[in-house]
Amino acid sequence: MTLLTDEIRALVGLKRIYTAPEELGAAAGRYFGLAVGDHNPLYSDSEYARAQGLEGVTAPLTLICETNQYADLPIPPDGYAGHEWGIELPGTRKVRGGNSYTFHRRVRPDDVITATWEITDVTEKTTRSGAEMLIIASRATYTDQQGGLLAENEETIIFVALEAGK
Amino acid sequence: MTSQVNHRAGDAVPPLERRIGLPDMIAYAGATWDWHRLHYDPEFVRAAKLPRPVVDGQVFGALLVEQIQDWLGPQCFVHRLDFTFKALVFAEETVRCEGAVTEVGEDHLLLEHRVVVVGPDGEVDRIAVAPAHARVLLGRADGPGA
Repeated sequence: MTLLTDEIRALVGLKRIYTAPEELGAAAGRYFGLAVGDHNPLYSDSEYARAQGLEGVTAPLTLICETNQYADLPIPPDGYAGHEWGIELPGTRKVRGGNSYTFHRRVRPDDVITATWEITDVTEKTTRSGAEMLIIASRATYTDQQGGLLAENEETIIFVALEAGK
Repeated sequence: MTSQVNHRAGDAVPPLERRIGLPDMIAYAGATWDWHRLHYDPEFVRAAKLPRPVVDGQVFGALLVEQIQDWLGPQCFVHRLDFTFKALVFAEETVRCEGAVTEVGEDHLLLEHRVVVVGPDGEVDRIAVAPAHARVLLGRADGPGA
């Protein structure tokens, strides 16, 4: 059995674009800092941020790559209201491989984020135990309302066949 | 906070340890607009044959940035960060972000990290994230695109 079918190969180059319906807002960054336990005043104290040469408070760096705020999608039964490719492969389990972020500047409360997702590669491998594995590589490029680059996020999602050697 | 001249390859980054409870995970779900039931719903978690709600792995990227910025202070900018997931982390577990300097440049540091789950005895129970790498620009609070 191969997971890397022609249908899967044809996914390379597929794009989805989401533009947030509004500015990110200062509360989004402050809330994220609170939630992860990062109390850095760069996210909440504009006077402190200005003393560091910034225009004001900024969002925690990884927020842009972790949030679904920009996607403006409905909440499905499983609760995940973010970007997905909708790839379903029966007889496999889906796991996250990892992420590689490049940050170009700190995101400010008045930024309106556009995220452009693209499938960049699909490859097949075999695990040590002999199970087939399909690796989907995607890249999200985040820009502001002037088209300026904010961040990039390369992500791998792995589908592992549940039964080795089949 | 440290100054640039003090850094040497092999230096340890001060570790960051954090217990991640269910309220933290619910707050994170709200803050990221990611309400996947895997992260808080006992019924969904049981059906998935998992022992407890699963910590959203992307939070470890946030913790690594926190670890770096707490160490280097506001005049640094994490330009690149990558991390690979090794094992799931469950609600109420404690993780520790560990790291070391691998290269000292004129205006940047390269760091290697991992995130481990800490057992009740303080020893490493398992590796949650490894490897992880960061490229940190020094002497600036914002990135090259600012």
